[in-house]
Amino acid sequence: MQLTEDQILTLAPDESSKKSGKDLSNAAKWGTKGVNEFALWGECQGSGSKPYRTQIALNNIAFKCSCPSRKFPCKHGIGLLLLYAKNGQSFIDHKAPDWVTEWLNKRSDKEENKTAKKDKLVDEAAQAKRLQARENIVEDGINELLLWIKDIVRNGILSIPEKGAQFFGGMSKRLIDAKAPGLAGMVKNLGNINFYFEGWQSLFMDQMARIYLVIAAYKNKEGISSLITEDVRTQIGFTQATEILKEQNGIVDSWLVLGKQTTEEDGLVTERNWLYGTQTDKYALVLQFIVRGQGAGFSITPGMTLNAELVFYESIQPLRALIKKEIQGGENQLVKPFQNWEQVAEAETILNRSLPFRSERPFIIKNITPVQFDNSWWLADENHNLVQLKSKYKYLYTILSLSGGEPMNMAVLGKENRYEPLGVWNNSHYMMVS
Amino acid sequence: MNFWNNVVQTAMLGTNKKDIVQQDLPEELLVAVKIINDNAVIDAEEKFIQTAALAFNYRQCGVRPNPQAGATLSLAPAEEKLYCNTEALQALKDILFEDSVGLLKIWLQLCLQKNQIITPALIPALMDKSVQQKHLKTLVQECVGKRGAWLSQFNSEWDFAPETNMEDLWQTGTPAERKNTLQQLRNSNSQKAKEWLKETWPVENANSKNDLLSAISINISADDIEWLESLLNEKSQKVKDSVLQLLKQIPTSTIVKQYEEVLRRSVSLRKEKGLLGLSSKTIIHSDITTPVDESIFKSGIEKLTNRKEFNDDEYIIYQLMQSVAPQFWEKQFLLSPGEIIQMFQKDEIKKKFIPAMIGAVVQFKDTGWADAFMKNSHVFYLDIIPLLPVEQQEYYSNKFFTGHEENIIRYALERDEEWSTELAKNIFKHTAKNYYTYNRAFYNRYIHLIPVQIVGLLEKCTPQEEHLRESWSNISEYIIKLITLKIETIKAFQ
Repeated sequence: MQLTEDQILTLAPDESSKKSGKDLSNAAKWGTKGVNEFALWGECQGSGSKPYRTQIALNNIAFKCSCPSRKFPCKHGIGLLLLYAKNGQSFIDHKAPDWVTEWLNKRSDKEENKTAKKDKLVDEAAQAKRLQARENIVEDGINELLLWIKDIVRNGILSIPEKGAQFFGGMSKRLIDAKAPGLAGMVKNLGNINFYFEGWQSLFMDQMARIYLVIAAYKNKEGISSLITEDVRTQIGFTQATEILKEQNGIVDSWLVLGKQTTEEDGLVTERNWLYGTQTDKYALVLQFIVRGQGAGFSITPGMTLNAELVFYESIQPLRALIKKEIQGGENQLVKPFQNWEQVAEAETILNRSLPFRSERPFIIKNITPVQFDNSWWLADENHNLVQLKSKYKYLYTILSLSGGEPMNMAVLGKENRYEPLGVWNNSHYMMVS
Repeated sequence: MNFWNNVVQTAMLGTNKKDIVQQDLPEELLVAVKIINDNAVIDAEEKFIQTAALAFNYRQCGVRPNPQAGATLSLAPAEEKLYCNTEALQALKDILFEDSVGLLKIWLQLCLQKNQIITPALIPALMDKSVQQKHLKTLVQECVGKRGAWLSQFNSEWDFAPETNMEDLWQTGTPAERKNTLQQLRNSNSQKAKEWLKETWPVENANSKNDLLSAISINISADDIEWLESLLNEKSQKVKDSVLQLLKQIPTSTIVKQYEEVLRRSVSLRKEKGLLGLSSKTIIHSDITTPVDESIFKSGIEKLTNRKEFNDDEYIIYQLMQSVAPQFWEKQFLLSPGEIIQMFQKDEIKKKFIPAMIGAVVQFKDTGWADAFMKNSHVFYLDIIPLLPVEQQEYYSNKFFTGHEENIIRYALERDEEWSTELAKNIFKHTAKNYYTYNRAFYNRYIHLIPVQIVGLLEKCTPQEEHLRESWSNISEYIIKLITLKIETIKAFQ
């Protein structure tokens, strides 16, 4: 798999790792180095007497390094990958040393053990009791939330901007205590609306409606489909067991990585990786949570093709998925784009009808041109139908520069006529915009 | 959409004060809303929020794109130049990542030399750089091609102003923009720049007059005398002083001619009989015999000395010598520069006037006299270095480095040409000991002057002091990184 320098740099955990990684992409820094079909390896002299041993499993870009850094991947991993991208021919040694083969063997043993792992003997009665207890606590939390919403509605939202952060923070904390972290997040987002923004009232009511739909669906779960129930439970904060999910059959495809968004809060990094199945025409969101200082489970980067079996979380409109298994395969960037915004709108209608409180999704759409209209920027399709570019979109000038006024196939993320480009096809090659 | 607005308005006041208005209710929702309203189990608040949720989803399900046939974007014109290759683009990305202005300048110059342009993806980053580094703006504009010019219409911060727009900037820009524009124009078309300033002069205030006059020092010549001398009647003393300073830079200006006149009368060569009258020698005679026009003292010449080695008359002569072009002495004495210099040097009393002549050489940028001084003088005059040819600058900088480190470095930094390895080594030996002053930012900024061959000599520049070695080692690594980038850049354009 050949990654570009830009793709490799997106794997770095922070800016200083990018800088240090680039410093180490100099061949002079590496003593021995080599590559075979499974791994890339090298030895880099550090401040100690022994050089650091860095290795990268090529099938899923997993890193390991003997340096003491708590960052993941460390600068040596980034540097080695950059060096390989720049000057692969200099990696003339193809026989992996023992320290590389041992690691690769351990990794494949670990995978086998995971799948062969027998279920622990479960005390079903105790488990059922715990589940019921949780349901009761959540129900109590939801009832309190409903009273809180009704209070707001009764008194009016005009005075909401004066309430302060504690008004929302307090309710959010009570929902955390009620083991409903998803709902806690929804209430927090309600409080995070920019009350100086003209039109905040509409955004506020949108979020209130979403919250109400979730709690009303939960309270009436007997009357709705099991798939929607799963979505409601997920939105509230119940998790679906990943071990059980991974036992299911997934979807095997060549997944084009359309984009990656990273946020950090309280030392926890959340990665949202947006994927597109080039054969199945399916979209997927693969989340990864990384605690600062600990390793990431996988490293994928926009523009690359990930050949893998993905297992989707149960949903009436499946989007979130897990990587069950990576497989060998070639690169495939052929896509089936939506022809125009009307088609996207129809797809959104179907999505909203069955899952009204859903969040935004990616779409690949054909021949889009950025245009100016009514003092703001829009994205126009071939039929001159426009949707609005999200405000404060950071890469407007890059999109314009790439376009030059010509239409481009584009991957966008958004909903309800507000989108942001994740990437474009430039000379038939997908590139992330950043 | 109207129904949603009703929902929001009701929400603003609260169900205590307002009921939701049923008008504008979409027909498709009538049945559902009736079911909600007829539900006796839930209270008014919950009825409202259920109706709001219904309206919310109805709205978001019904969203359609906005048809606007008239909303189009102009096409960027086709490029005439070729894009630079992938190695050059990668080098540019590395340079931008490293935030090295020195390397960026090299890259842009090479790109321009090759008559190439960058690919569209990198244009915004480069244009942003040109805002931060205004001195690179012209180079950037050349290297972003037609796409960059087209793109700049969407971002006024990039200030992509070809000469036709310079006039707009001159007429309507901020004081800093106007000064910058005038300076740029003075570099390319000094006469036009003067005309622009003459035109707006009557409406400029004293501060802006003073500020803008500094631009006239660029490419100042005899053509500027007439207008500048007409400004000596300005009301503002500050402006008059600035005008005078400018006139003093022009050898044929009235004030300089006045100075020359005093010197013509006061400094001459005389033959003096030697011991026993058997020989004679030529000596320099200086004496102010006729009264000096008082207007000269109003032009900045001090009447009374403040230096113990000069009496009042001598000090007047000294100041006047600083302010006339050195070529004056060739006409005055009918001797070559070298002969004049030697004569002053041999004269035990008159040699104290040599620094004044040095001042004049620097003031009037006389490269001929600078060369003559270096060849004929026993003393090393540092200030002349920038006027010498590069090879001589190198030679004298290296020869006299010890004891004059800071000044020699200062002049070396003003050069456009890369240093020799020897000079770089001397400089680094000094900077290695002063890492607070000469930090990474210093090497980053001046990388265009640092020769690539210095990489092999960095270790020889290691300070002897133990406590300085680690910082030099770190800085050396950084220098190597910059030089590697420099090499990659040069190679990419070969």
